[in-house]
Amino acid sequence: MSDTVQEAGQDEQSVAAGGAEQAADQDSGSMARSEADLVREGDIAGDYLERLLDLLDYDGDIDLDVESGRAVVSVDGGKDLEKLVGSQGEVLEAVQELTRLAVQQETGVRSRLMLDIAGWRANRRNELSDLGRRTAEKVASTGKTQRLRPMSPFERKVVHDAVATVSGVTSEGEGEPPSRRVIVYRVG
Amino acid sequence: MTVLADALEHLVRGIVDNPDEVRVESLTTRRGRTLEVHVNPDDLGKVIGRGGRTATALRTVISGVGGRGIRVDVVDTDR
Repeated sequence: MSDTVQEAGQDEQSVAAGGAEQAADQDSGSMARSEADLVREGDIAGDYLERLLDLLDYDGDIDLDVESGRAVVSVDGGKDLEKLVGSQGEVLEAVQELTRLAVQQETGVRSRLMLDIAGWRANRRNELSDLGRRTAEKVASTGKTQRLRPMSPFERKVVHDAVATVSGVTSEGEGEPPSRRVIVYRVG
Repeated sequence: MTVLADALEHLVRGIVDNPDEVRVESLTTRRGRTLEVHVNPDDLGKVIGRGGRTATALRTVISGVGGRGIRVDVVDTDR
């Protein structure tokens, strides 16, 4: 699960930097966040979101964590929270974007924190992981290339990871956002 | 409606250099309900974001919470 969390954001490039991140110049303010920095990111995000829930009169518990080099903030609670997710998770992405900006406003550094609300990402991750694995198995047996529907960076990452667990097939991205999609084909 | 205005004001205050100058006015026009976000001119860029990305995020959240059909306009305090 922590592996899928890694690339959940919009910023695939900065995530792709991976290990290079550790070596990044701290003064540039780009990367290399210490555990304490990430805890602080979570705290700022938690305050920002808690106040939002208060103003909207929504019930919600906020849980803060650090996983795979990024702050993870989860909000769980009442049915109202579905409004902060949206039917396709679009509201969740917007709230995450604003929360990252609020963190950046305080720290002066771009944040890659991941926000989940009402377990939406966790559920999507399971569904997409199943989809990726089933598609990969089908391609492995039929040899027929499959094109999946357009997905967000977060969704594509989860699918790629699932396809990678099946041997004899591989996946790559095709097209430009927002219609970028995963294609799965047989190799070897 | 005032709940939405307060929530929007909070969201904007958190992302600008001059939070005390953020004010959200709730207007009802012929075109429907509008939340007008007033900020210091220096903060306009932050609230709009690159390619309008931040303003879009604010609109998306307000639509999600308050339903579609609520306009969110960003204006600077000079106006």
